[in-house]
Amino acid sequence: MLSRVAESLYWMARYMERAEDTARLINAVTLMSLDMPADARIGWDALVRIAGLDDVFFKHYSEANEACVMQFLIRDEKNPGSIMSCITRARENTRTFREVLPWECWEWVNELYIYAKNNVVNDLTRRRRYEVLQAVILRRQSIVGLLSGTMSRDAAFQFLRLGRNVERADMTTRILDVSVAIMLPRAAVGASQYSDLAWMNILKALSAYQMYRRYVSVHADGARVIEFVLKNKEFPRTIIHCLRELIEVLHQLPHPEPILASVRDALAIVEQADATGLAQRGVHTFTDQIQLHLAHIDAALRQHYFKVGDVAASTEAAA
Amino acid sequence: MFTTSQSMSSASQKYAATPAYDESLDATGRPHPLTQALWDYFSELPAEELAARVTEVDAAIMTAGITFTVYTDAGNIDRAWPFDVIPRVIERREWELIESGLKQRLAALNLFITDIYNEQRIIRDGVFPAEVLRDSKNFREACVGMRPRYDVWAHVCGTDLVRHSDGQFYVLEDNLRVPSGVSYMLENRQLMKRLFPEFLARYRIFPVDNYTAQLYDTLAALSPREGERPVIALLTPGIYNSAYFEHSYLAQQMGAELVEGADLVVAEDECVYMKTIEGLQRVDVIYRRVDDDFLDPEVFRADSMLGVRGLMRAWKKGNVGIANAPGAGVADDKVVYSFVPQMIRYYLDEEAILPNVPSYLCMYDKDREYVLNNLESLVVKPANESGGYGMLIGPQSTEAERNTFAGLIKANPRNYMAQPTLSLSTVPTLTSEGIAPRHVDLRPFVLQSNRSFVTAGGLTRVALRKGSLIVNSSQGGGSKDTWIVEGDV
Repeated sequence: MLSRVAESLYWMARYMERAEDTARLINAVTLMSLDMPADARIGWDALVRIAGLDDVFFKHYSEANEACVMQFLIRDEKNPGSIMSCITRARENTRTFREVLPWECWEWVNELYIYAKNNVVNDLTRRRRYEVLQAVILRRQSIVGLLSGTMSRDAAFQFLRLGRNVERADMTTRILDVSVAIMLPRAAVGASQYSDLAWMNILKALSAYQMYRRYVSVHADGARVIEFVLKNKEFPRTIIHCLRELIEVLHQLPHPEPILASVRDALAIVEQADATGLAQRGVHTFTDQIQLHLAHIDAALRQHYFKVGDVAASTEAAA
Repeated sequence: MFTTSQSMSSASQKYAATPAYDESLDATGRPHPLTQALWDYFSELPAEELAARVTEVDAAIMTAGITFTVYTDAGNIDRAWPFDVIPRVIERREWELIESGLKQRLAALNLFITDIYNEQRIIRDGVFPAEVLRDSKNFREACVGMRPRYDVWAHVCGTDLVRHSDGQFYVLEDNLRVPSGVSYMLENRQLMKRLFPEFLARYRIFPVDNYTAQLYDTLAALSPREGERPVIALLTPGIYNSAYFEHSYLAQQMGAELVEGADLVVAEDECVYMKTIEGLQRVDVIYRRVDDDFLDPEVFRADSMLGVRGLMRAWKKGNVGIANAPGAGVADDKVVYSFVPQMIRYYLDEEAILPNVPSYLCMYDKDREYVLNNLESLVVKPANESGGYGMLIGPQSTEAERNTFAGLIKANPRNYMAQPTLSLSTVPTLTSEGIAPRHVDLRPFVLQSNRSFVTAGGLTRVALRKGSLIVNSSQGGGSKDTWIVEGDV
């Protein structure tokens, strides 16, 4: 597997995952806003902040209202993390390694791109926005299904899995942060009921609500949801599940030891986390810490797989 | 039945043939027996059904991302490949003759290239003029003395053929450097199979999709490590090259690695390696789609970012096979072209099966005088351009253009040759005015290493504009599927 192609596959999977997860996040927050009491407000600016994009956003927009934030997150080309930017970049990457994927995969990625280009437009109504984003999620899931059903479990497949799980873990920490976005009126009557609602919607943004109810509880309180999102080993979008996937994938790649060490560091922190404490204090500092560890894993991959050829070549040139 | 035959006659009757040779009609202007089934099919197909299928074809092309890049002042645009759904039909027995003519031609060209980089017997024997070689832009000093395996330099050749008003196929040019278009030939057949299966069943059509397996064998035969499964890499200039779609397609079809220059490195042992997640891995054969000029900054253009430093050293040592071999382009020159019939006689002691288009070489005083006096009826071509660039088409030119070309020719006579304006044959094509004749050429692909192979048909390019003779995709051309069929259907 060429190092350049490996890196390109990894990023293609990251872009695709980010596009899908952003779509899920937006749909969940939109639904949540409908459940909120009249005097509660959705902090749309918090959506931008937790995506780590507030600098870029405020460079181009003066106010973080729903219309601006949605445009920014969904289709703005100036936002490298917008759904449209991610799909465009995933497609450009796919073009450079079409030959390592099942041939139809390119067609499906291209079809997703054409769909998004034609349907992700300005001034989407809430209803239309929901429909379009669902369609994006569906198309991306079809691509995952196609690869899962028709692609050999070769190195190319493993790099796609690496990208998908690194990005998914990162997005899950960000979705957990959404709890901050809900500004509840102080001492409002029934505040705890609305608080439950916020945690329930976080599960919905992860498409985890049904599985949570089935295996954990019908009540969504902070401690239990955090415990689930961090540590549930069965659900495929939890942090621990993503990290364990990384370990499994890495065992199938050559010389994974240095990267495995980074993943194990992250895993230790998640396993030791105190969900009850986090529910009381807020999760933000903790999610920041996990994001930092994910960045270490990303750097280790770069150093050991993506740039290895350059190192070898320069060693030779020096010899 | 009655309505069928009535609409059938209307489809071919409405077809207004031009003075050019039309491949779908016989001498009396009636449907040619071979195309009868084609006329029937398109007459029976209701207009709305045809329109629906054309829409489906366009959508399939968009989704498949079958594109080529057009370079314009406004930037590079990725355009969908224009495809015409009416296939071009050629009879098998006629094709077999063309096939043997193409093999003969490439064999002679390869003997010529070996000779030119070694003894130069053909020059000493006075068959080929030394001055043509002296001024050749594509002669590579670095290749002198090389004897690649099987003495084959041009492993992949795209030969452009045109059919003149006499009904005869003529060779227009030999593309020996990095000929492209074969992926469109393959994709066109896929599209037809997908969208017109019941129509294909009416003919016995020779398959084209064995090409990639043949290409793989041709390349594998060049591996320096015999007995091992060779590592084959297709070297592309990258995603911005107009033929990138094809590079990726062929790599995928052959299971070869698609590499860019920066993915490869020549190590101290003068072998070529690619940079992989497991470290460096040896490469045995490079199918390069990068021009000579950019192949190795150590030997050719020093500013090239597309090539691999040291590649020529590795090739000369025999540590890597390169197709087409560096320097093969010396025979891909429109002046050298005019000597191919003499080469066939000289090296093979045979007469050319496929005729050349008569050519006037501006380097010869008499020819030049004729060309300068007849610019309005000739096509003038520079020796080393491809893609239809830098040509003068006499009958469609202005006086100012002719004066410019007269100046160019006088300044550099060796660089120009002229040919009579051929009337390219026409075939039925779907246009906004219904089925109408449009001019076509044909590019079959010929492979040679330890044996040779010719595609069944090739890429038919069609000038979609009415009356136009320019088939290049960069200038308003499209393509259609080409069917080599058994005559007794």
